[in-house]
Amino acid sequence: MSLLSVCEWLQNLPWASGIKHSAWQFPVVESVHSLALSAMLWPTALLDMRLLGWIMPRRPVSRVAAQFLPWTWWGFAIMVASGVLLFCSEAVKCYQSPFFRVKVALLVLAGLNSLVFHKTVFRSVAVWDGDGSTPWRAKLAGGCSLAVWIGVVAMGRALAYA
Amino acid sequence: MLSESFLPFFEWCGNTWLGTTVRDTVWAFPVIETFHLLALAVLLGTVLMVNLRTFGVGARDSELNSALEPSLEPWMRVSIVVLILSGIPMMLSEPMKCYESISFPIKIGLLVAAIAWHFTVQRKHPGKLAAGVSILLWTGIGIAGKGIPYV
Repeated sequence: MSLLSVCEWLQNLPWASGIKHSAWQFPVVESVHSLALSAMLWPTALLDMRLLGWIMPRRPVSRVAAQFLPWTWWGFAIMVASGVLLFCSEAVKCYQSPFFRVKVALLVLAGLNSLVFHKTVFRSVAVWDGDGSTPWRAKLAGGCSLAVWIGVVAMGRALAYA
Repeated sequence: MLSESFLPFFEWCGNTWLGTTVRDTVWAFPVIETFHLLALAVLLGTVLMVNLRTFGVGARDSELNSALEPSLEPWMRVSIVVLILSGIPMMLSEPMKCYESISFPIKIGLLVAAIAWHFTVQRKHPGKLAAGVSILLWTGIGIAGKGIPYV
């Protein structure tokens, strides 16, 4: 079974085509998706900017992370759940769109970036916690995260109109 | 649906240079909307973090939070400006959609109310009521915006 036929099958499931063809379901799920994006993107960006040393240089990184990470996880979970619903309702369009493929690739990169950051330089955060200027690997993680998430939003918008 | 007396204004909007340019450029709308959404994330993210704290949600580190709040205010103002500046060309590019949509006048009404609430009641009487109304107004603007192409 090809990936395309899986997408066709998904899209034709009664609840998936219901989202697409109902007058209100698609915009409601899309609103939830955008609100969840807002709840997770800004806390993510604030933490990234702290890692880059752009803001709150006197605040310990570990405390900034402890404050913002729960927001990013909750927002991300709601965004994935609503995003899966949106995807199922127009799976074939997504399959055929280059923007969707780039978006998924960027999301994988965001995950890998976060994983590498937590498994490496963040483990030794106690050593550099209070430093206004963070280690280069922390700056790299913050910069990559900012760029990748802006790209995710841009690809999402491009997908909607292409 | 707006009264017909507004129609000439919306027709004029569609004929402006900015409106026709955005409409005739394939990538202009999604690019402008990307900036609109990023600014919305800054604004709503701030509104949610600052106001939900009043209800004890996400308020782990109260010392950090109270230090954070004043530094988020300028970002919030900048994001409102970016939202309006990016919203205008989008509106000009498809004014008839806005004219025919019930969501558009609701969105503009909520926007005026939210800005007024932010600079008056929330300043003078901060508390659970001010925070709750603020969250409802700003999320309502986001939802009404999503509704423009549909209803």
